[in-house]
Amino acid sequence: MKTYSDLEFLKLSKGEKFKYKFLSFFAGIPKALLNLLLALWNLIKGAGVTIGKEIADICSTFIHGDWKTKLSFIFMGFGCLARGQILRGILFLLFEVVFIGYMVLAGGYWLGMLPSLGVQGPTKEYNEILDVEVTTFHDNSFKILLYGVLTLFFIVAFIYTWRQNVKQNQLAEKILASGKKLRSGKDDLRSLVDDQFHKTLLALPLTGILLFTVMPIVFMILVAFTNYDGTHNGYTNNLFTWVGMDNFNTMLSWTAGKGGNTQSYSATFGEVLVWTLIWAFFATFTNYFLGMFVAMAINKKGIKLKKVWRTILVLTIAIPQFISLLYVSKMFAKNGIVNGFLMSMGWIQEALPFWEDPTWARVTVVLINIWIGIPYLMLIATGILMNIPADLYESARIDGANPWQQYTKITLPYMLFVTGPYLLTSFTGNMNNFNVIYLLTGGAPTNPAASSAAGSVGYTDLLITWLFKITTGAESQYYLASVVGILVFVVVALISLVVYNVLPSIKNEEDFQ
Amino acid sequence: MKKFLAIALALVMTLSLMGTALAGDLAGTYDIKVWVAEKAVDLTKQQIDNFNKTNDAGITFNATVEAVSEADAGTNMITDVEAGGDLYCFAQDQFARLVQAGALAKLGKKAADTVIANNDAGTVAAATSGDTLYAYPLTSDNGYFMYYDKSVIPEEDVDSLEALIADCEKAQKYFAMETNTSAWYLAAFFFGTGCVSEWVTDNDGSFIEVHDTFNSPQGLIAAKGLKKLVDSPFSLSSSEASAFASDAAVVVTGIWAYEDIAKMLGDNMGVTDLPSFEVDGQQYHIGSFNGCKLLGVKPQEDAVKAAALHRLAQYLTGEECQMERFEALSWGPSNVAAQASDAVQANPGLAALIKQAPYSVPQGQIHGSWWDIGKVIADDVKAATDEAGLQAALDNYTDKISALFTMSDDVKFGWTVIGAVAGSMWDKDFPMTKVSASEWKSDEAFEMDAGTEFKVRQGLSWDNNFPADNFKVEEAGTYFVIFNESTGEVSISAE
Amino acid sequence: MSQQNAIAPTGPVKKHMGLKASRALGNTAIYLLLIVVSAIWLIPFICILLQSFRVESTWQVGYVIPQQWGLDNYKGLFETDFPRWYMNTFIAALCTAVLQTIIVLCMSYTLSRFRFKMRNGLMRFMLILGMFPGMLTMIILYRVLKDLGMTQANALPGLILVYVASSGMGYYVSKGFFDTIPKSLDEAARVDGATRFQILKKIILPLSKPIVIYTVLTAFMGPWGDFVFARYIAFGSSAGSNVAVGLYNWLSKDQINTRYTMFCAGGVLVAVPVTILFMCLQKYYVEGVTGGAVKG
Repeated sequence: MKTYSDLEFLKLSKGEKFKYKFLSFFAGIPKALLNLLLALWNLIKGAGVTIGKEIADICSTFIHGDWKTKLSFIFMGFGCLARGQILRGILFLLFEVVFIGYMVLAGGYWLGMLPSLGVQGPTKEYNEILDVEVTTFHDNSFKILLYGVLTLFFIVAFIYTWRQNVKQNQLAEKILASGKKLRSGKDDLRSLVDDQFHKTLLALPLTGILLFTVMPIVFMILVAFTNYDGTHNGYTNNLFTWVGMDNFNTMLSWTAGKGGNTQSYSATFGEVLVWTLIWAFFATFTNYFLGMFVAMAINKKGIKLKKVWRTILVLTIAIPQFISLLYVSKMFAKNGIVNGFLMSMGWIQEALPFWEDPTWARVTVVLINIWIGIPYLMLIATGILMNIPADLYESARIDGANPWQQYTKITLPYMLFVTGPYLLTSFTGNMNNFNVIYLLTGGAPTNPAASSAAGSVGYTDLLITWLFKITTGAESQYYLASVVGILVFVVVALISLVVYNVLPSIKNEEDFQ
Repeated sequence: MKKFLAIALALVMTLSLMGTALAGDLAGTYDIKVWVAEKAVDLTKQQIDNFNKTNDAGITFNATVEAVSEADAGTNMITDVEAGGDLYCFAQDQFARLVQAGALAKLGKKAADTVIANNDAGTVAAATSGDTLYAYPLTSDNGYFMYYDKSVIPEEDVDSLEALIADCEKAQKYFAMETNTSAWYLAAFFFGTGCVSEWVTDNDGSFIEVHDTFNSPQGLIAAKGLKKLVDSPFSLSSSEASAFASDAAVVVTGIWAYEDIAKMLGDNMGVTDLPSFEVDGQQYHIGSFNGCKLLGVKPQEDAVKAAALHRLAQYLTGEECQMERFEALSWGPSNVAAQASDAVQANPGLAALIKQAPYSVPQGQIHGSWWDIGKVIADDVKAATDEAGLQAALDNYTDKISALFTMSDDVKFGWTVIGAVAGSMWDKDFPMTKVSASEWKSDEAFEMDAGTEFKVRQGLSWDNNFPADNFKVEEAGTYFVIFNESTGEVSISAE
Repeated sequence: MSQQNAIAPTGPVKKHMGLKASRALGNTAIYLLLIVVSAIWLIPFICILLQSFRVESTWQVGYVIPQQWGLDNYKGLFETDFPRWYMNTFIAALCTAVLQTIIVLCMSYTLSRFRFKMRNGLMRFMLILGMFPGMLTMIILYRVLKDLGMTQANALPGLILVYVASSGMGYYVSKGFFDTIPKSLDEAARVDGATRFQILKKIILPLSKPIVIYTVLTAFMGPWGDFVFARYIAFGSSAGSNVAVGLYNWLSKDQINTRYTMFCAGGVLVAVPVTILFMCLQKYYVEGVTGGAVKG
């Protein structure tokens, strides 16, 4: 493909410009992917180099350090205590005690069981005298995996803290050698609201994210490599265990599913993915342009009662979706009030198949999503439109531009530039828009070809609702849900990466400041 | 160290429990959680109070009764068995899932005998996997029949599907039967033409075999009947009573909707069995499922508590409580004595169920995925334009059913003996073992009379079987069966 | 109006009149459009409102306007567990609003104002984390909360914990807002010897009213609509349910015919406080969202 310089580009006609942009977008994809791989490689390489450096540094600290430092390698915080940094010393020591105590009492067991995920499931025995069956519980794979992962996290935290402890000693020696004074506990505390203030501020949010987002995600990624499902749940003698890449092979193989005759998982995944992307595209852009349009209509000079119009629209944000969407879903049922109204007016003879026909259902969810989405867009667009300098329009008008030209030359480019990142997040958000699909159709109508042992799949099912169905469906295939979840992540990440590399306005956050 | 402590502790606990267990003394106060349908919460509380007062073992239950719909109990239990109800009601379709998940405690021998003696056979079968009884039958009314609006449907039309559809179309009212979203209702057409879908489970609730004839000439007839309904613009895939309040004239649903519909239609309510449909000049009465609700006991660690819970479960599913439930909630009893009572016989809703009974099929155990697989038939049938299309819908269905059973390669490529051997009548496969590069030999020797016939087949299917005509034994004796894989030759040998 | 006046003298009078007429025509068209749009937007809510006053029957019906009006459904709500669910949700919303705001502000302020070693890595990491479907983690979060004793009847603290714990990930909007506050203000204060904490307290927070209100408002609204996660955590327990779970269960097959109009009444009671709050604070919401959302 020919690349143009800036000057050449400006000379092109409108159509050519669009074609050029369009093509260069796709031409950019391989490069973006390559960059990703390179970045990954650099990351791994960088990590290797860093670890090497760290080890070398630790060794040299030990060799060159005094006896206080050397003892700190075993008794964390000893150096700090010996050098009068009582607060730090106590914290280090306390952490070590807690860590060792935990590892001895519980952590060792969890860690030891992690490779096998348990050996003995529950046993059942018949009690003759009472004429009942009694269950005795032994290992529990779920708990082993959960606490095993937590223990690993704890170990990483310990290694990090230990490393800090070594560094502290090295630093303290250096400072003392140069004749300066060490920071006291009071200094430490003061720095936490000043030059180390960011650490104070981030401590709580990051702990929360670590425990309630990162840890669960790590856990669920690991589940994709096990056979955890409803029948391997810790109540039967089937403990779940590691199965390697089996689940990915099942999901991604193009050969037909179990038994040889049904559609393969990958084909089902493909179908659902394609609809998910179509849905996300329409859901994002219909809302975007219509929302902008409504905002412009309300903002137009001479339109009165602006606040009233806005408030009416904004009601959809304020009312919980499970109420409004469930109601709307019933309105469009075959015997719902929409069909009833249309029939009583004599406009239609038969009920329209809003939820029964695949195409109707897909169009209807997109349309109803407009109802949900426009208010947000209207609010955002209102703010941005007000920020466009009025003199731009004025000079355009003097040049004889009609409203449409003003829109395409000024309003739209400005909006697109400012809302680029928003468009991307709302696209990926729509891919995972569980509520709208679940409450409106629950995925219906069913897709006969795609439904298989993984549960029924509907024409309006998104990957996220399919994932939910797999989790709560007949066989509770958690492992399969995890695989789908990981694939959703891959798709979203790829899209984001490509767009990130193509859209200029996302890249440089400092530009906005 | 920790392990040792745990073992010691367990030992002490077992010993002390043995003490009470030996005495068979169940007296004590137990905190339990009970899950029942929202409607039955108050009644169940009352019944547990009664049990506390009247039981002779000194058991007192401190029960928290929560409303959990019987349809969701399975999913909820599987979410976390440990946190589930100690006693819980569930619809029978979830039975196998719950057994597989280990969420049901087996009944003791005495309890099982009592249950089998006092409840109708269909409900006992519903609570049985393999030869083990896992739950207590609670009702025997989970079937469906037809409610209709007398102001729209003339009395003489209620026996004919075609007439009903015509009446509905004329009045611009809907015929509601949940064919497209529920296999439970959809199957009615197939049962009507004599098709079956019978599933076999082992003692752990796993499905080991299926006998399904939906894909057959009879099934094709059923599909044609179904097409008549789903093709009508006034068919509505719903089993909600409230369809009557929004333009339905016929709703196929169950006894649970009786009171709601009575309120909605008043004197215009008609209740009867399902209609017949006509294909090629022949009438087929639409069938139905006949299911039940069950009461399960969660597996317990403490034998004494378990025994007390089973006592309560027996009480709650006994004749007295079932009659109370019938009186308060119109739930049809599974207890044989209660079924025979005059009051039950006189209930109009149950009467319709009884009228439908000759055409109904006991639900038994059905694979959890079947509900998802079955329900797509209706959409497929609706999309079909000709007979080939209908056949394709059924083929699609069978493919998915067969996909439910994964065979290991050992089974898939292994050979077995099947025939009139060892007391079986072509209904059991006897394993063979590979003895050389191409030769297979049966694991056991069979006593065979002259004229005994058998075959050797691969992968438990008839796709590959030898010899083409059955092998006939000429001389009585005890033989091993030998099969040569490369030549396809079957022979017998005394050693 | 100024624009209109500005160009009026430049064009011929005749054309000016035409312009005015076409503008009037355009405005009429816009009014018509807005009326239609408003009607479409309002119909479902009006329907729900009307259904909640219907007393002649309790199930779904094919008409909208009740034949008999009354407050029975609202009275009926107080004989169920609805007040308990309502309180649960209200407490959850209140706690979430306070705690989540603190966390989000800490996070976004830090990322907007500080430049530290791991900053970019951290932001990228959180961006990547956000791409995992959160639904997946439901199963594991349930187990964690269960081991902490915060499920079923005690689900409320567990719910708050989960809502709040991960809320740091949603820093984008408020970070965008903080980015618009000039950094020179900080630097000037720094020169005067103020600590970072003092700068936050004395300078930034007073300027951040819109974004604080925006964050409080969105955090407060979240718990009212959550039924998937809340149902999973509180499963099988009415006492631990929030209003969404409780009402959602009323739509199950065995309850819908006796509870449907009460569901609508409950829905109205949920919507009213949120709507009023939203209307009062709409101005700040718009400022917050436009100040922050688009700058990400």
